[in-house]
Amino acid sequence: MGFFAPWFLAGVLAVGLPVYIHLLRRHTTTPRAVSSLMFFERGTQSSTRHRRLRYLLLFSLRALLMLLLALVFAQPFVRRSSAAASEKLLVVAVDDSFSMRAGSRLEVAKQEALATLAMRKPSQRAQVMALAGELQVLTQPIQDDGQLKAAVSGIQPTDSHGNFGELGRGMRALAETVHTPIELHVFSDMQQSNMPANFADMVLPGNVSLVLHPTVKTPIPNWNVESVDAPSQLVDTKKARVVTVIAGHGTPAAERMVSLVINGKVTATKKVLVPADGRVTLAFETLEVPFGESRCEVRIDSADGFAADDTSRFAVRRADPERVLFVHQAADSRSPLYFGAALGAAAQASFVLQPIVAEQAADLDPMKFAFVVLSDVASIPSILEHSLVKYVEDGGNVLIAAGTADSHRDRIPVLGEVVADGHFYSRSGGFASVGAMDQSYPAVKDAGGWSDAKFFYAASVDPAGSRVVAKLADGTPLLLDQQMGQGHVLLFTSGLDNVTNDLPLHPEFVAFVDEAARYLAGVERLSGARVVDSFVQLRSPTSLAAVSGGTSVEVVGPDGKRPLSLADEATAQSFRLADAGFYHVRFATGRDALIAVNPDPRESGLELIPEETLKLWSGSAVGADAPSDSAGGAAKPMAAYGLWWWVMLMLLVAALAESLVASQYLGTQREEV
Amino acid sequence: MQRFLDPRVLAGINGLDLIAKTVVDGFVTGLHRSPDFGFSQEFAEYRAYTPGDDLRHVDWNLFARTERTYLKRYRGETNGQLTILLDASNSMQFTSHEVSKMNYARYAAAALFYLAIHNQRDPAGLIVFDDEVREFIRPSTRAGQLQRLLAGLEQAEPRARTNFEKPMQYFQELLRRRGMVIIISDFYEEPEAIVKAIEPLRFHGSEVVLFHVLDPQEIQPKLNGPSILVDLETEQRMEVIPEYVKGEYRRRMDAHLEQLESRTKAAGMDYHLLVTDKPLDAALSEYLFLRPRRN
Repeated sequence: MGFFAPWFLAGVLAVGLPVYIHLLRRHTTTPRAVSSLMFFERGTQSSTRHRRLRYLLLFSLRALLMLLLALVFAQPFVRRSSAAASEKLLVVAVDDSFSMRAGSRLEVAKQEALATLAMRKPSQRAQVMALAGELQVLTQPIQDDGQLKAAVSGIQPTDSHGNFGELGRGMRALAETVHTPIELHVFSDMQQSNMPANFADMVLPGNVSLVLHPTVKTPIPNWNVESVDAPSQLVDTKKARVVTVIAGHGTPAAERMVSLVINGKVTATKKVLVPADGRVTLAFETLEVPFGESRCEVRIDSADGFAADDTSRFAVRRADPERVLFVHQAADSRSPLYFGAALGAAAQASFVLQPIVAEQAADLDPMKFAFVVLSDVASIPSILEHSLVKYVEDGGNVLIAAGTADSHRDRIPVLGEVVADGHFYSRSGGFASVGAMDQSYPAVKDAGGWSDAKFFYAASVDPAGSRVVAKLADGTPLLLDQQMGQGHVLLFTSGLDNVTNDLPLHPEFVAFVDEAARYLAGVERLSGARVVDSFVQLRSPTSLAAVSGGTSVEVVGPDGKRPLSLADEATAQSFRLADAGFYHVRFATGRDALIAVNPDPRESGLELIPEETLKLWSGSAVGADAPSDSAGGAAKPMAAYGLWWWVMLMLLVAALAESLVASQYLGTQREEV
Repeated sequence: MQRFLDPRVLAGINGLDLIAKTVVDGFVTGLHRSPDFGFSQEFAEYRAYTPGDDLRHVDWNLFARTERTYLKRYRGETNGQLTILLDASNSMQFTSHEVSKMNYARYAAAALFYLAIHNQRDPAGLIVFDDEVREFIRPSTRAGQLQRLLAGLEQAEPRARTNFEKPMQYFQELLRRRGMVIIISDFYEEPEAIVKAIEPLRFHGSEVVLFHVLDPQEIQPKLNGPSILVDLETEQRMEVIPEYVKGEYRRRMDAHLEQLESRTKAAGMDYHLLVTDKPLDAALSEYLFLRPRRN
């Protein structure tokens, strides 16, 4: 027997209250007059003893009342063997993650699950769940054997990454609603990568007994394409490279044939020597894809027991270089020079810079450009500004470099941000460095922190409502991202020349321009490769279309079917990429994208969880030593069975009895008076 | 007629004179059937003359008819003086029902006075005492004596403690004539001390009767639980348990009553226990029974 909240047992001290009332407190009675005390004798000692005896029942009931009250709060429980408790819930969880595709793991797991269900008592309720990236409940707690078996038989392998932490969270939620003991049987390959980062996430509640059923005893060797680095958009196929990493898990050193497949055709094949249980990097120097979107794969002839991970997909969009509108002042020739040079030097650059003086840009349509840059412009024609505002709200992106020109104005164009006095660090003979940078932001992902760059000027803007990507050491925002409609405005509070800062002179500037250009042009969103169970944003959360349901999105899965209903297509903001393969997505902005989805590479590591860890998890060596035993077999884990309900019942009975006995004593008192 | 002697019925009657009349009339009516009791100047018996007898008592009419000499005897030939000593200490106010010991004693005394003065033409007097003499009404047959006695009874409110020694010494000086002395009290004192204090009255030649008035709760008290008892005279407090009252107390009370009765009778006095829930006829019977004995 134990207690879920043992600290409440301190309430047992309250038993001292009835002790005080019955034994210590002076008993008062109304004196009675007699003619003479001649024949009486004092009986104090015997009287006290008599009083104790007389009120013993009431005292016992009151002490019991206090004791039970403390017990109720302490929540006592007893551990009972699962075999003895026929009312316990049998939960069958079958791992259907991507690694279960290896060999016949899933079939073995399903057979064992069916055997477990067959050996349970007919009156015992059971529930079937599938465990992958998330815990999927396939049945409610039922006794229908046919329905349970059908649920198990219907489990199909998925491409998700298994996570036992989800199982722990799911069981904790289930234990809060199901008050009977739970016997959990997990059928899995016990892949080590299924372990969560924190072991505490796997810990099960006290009333859940865990029985593990590993479907494999030893890991099998496995080669897989661990990663592919390829441009998501390219202009010149000669400049494109595909770098891939081939990994071996528990494998001997072996030569593997690696093929580059474009739109179903093998365009290149290379032989590599993969070291024992190691990795090798391989590069294809050309990527001969046709114009438009291409479905590309890197394949290996692994000839291992897990063929599903021998392919890694990626999507490439080949197009003519997109134009980038660069609006600057007539006197400013450095900004387009630096920015254009950096844009051209970027390895995956597929943009052509079109510089133009602000006064001449009034008639330009921003929709024809991949994105727009406003560099240090004191003023732009109002027609252009209105066009840019509409352009951003419809999904376009603008980069604004404030420069010193904005210090003479009270607002930043397009953004409408009020500008306070700028910080001229050079006037005080110094400069400012970057104090903090959010490197999770796509445009500065590989920017290196700009730690060596010196900033001599930065405009002072209110960062409210914006995401501050980088700020200077004195806290002045340096790079801000503000969403307007479906588009974004990236505000750089310094300039793009070498006057307000020396960033254009550093190599990080090229990386920044490259990543910013791809982010602003939306290339990252429209192609490339993702991991299963990642989400793609279909429309902006603040999009008017999302509210009114105006523009529909379109998602076509790898199987050619549309996973979203018409209603979801009109309102969904994001979509979960559940299966491996190529998805065709038409966003709310009207742009199309081909997205390649690959299983999590961690699923290819088939190493098993150590036996000690499994024992620690199950909390009982019995369950781990006899993994193939079914529910009614030798494994008899102990389950905590809460007793608070019974204690509460006893408390009510004791309270009732105490009231009855006390009322009788009160009646006696009245009679005496 | 018994119900007219019930103290609970008497408690509903206002005025001691009316109570006394009711008691005595009811009592006398009930006595007519009894051959054992008579009243003053009534014929009692014939006895054969023996030399030395007073010739005045010879029934000459009978001698004339039968030529035999017989003496004619009468009862109550002389007036018997009745003096009642009433204990008016605080303990006499104890009661467990409608009639307190003090009221019961008043009723009994009033009835005796009525019987003595109204029916027997005997002089009657009253002494009210506690730890000293509070009231003394000299025995007399004068007109209005009964009212004086009843007024004395009315004014005898319980107070103070009982002390027999001091009043009894005073009584010896007051009681010059022989007669019947009735002491009405609850006698919460050692029997030896009581007899020692009262015995001199007997030496004086008076017939001494002890009417021991007790409440039924004093003879067989009942306690529902441990209780604190307060002495009405001393105001002393004591915690007592029911077990003691059921056992030891009753044994001690019975022993006290038995000892009191035996001691008083050994001293030539009469003793009678009057319980306040019993009728008053016992007291009157005792009076009428003892009165001829004095002659």
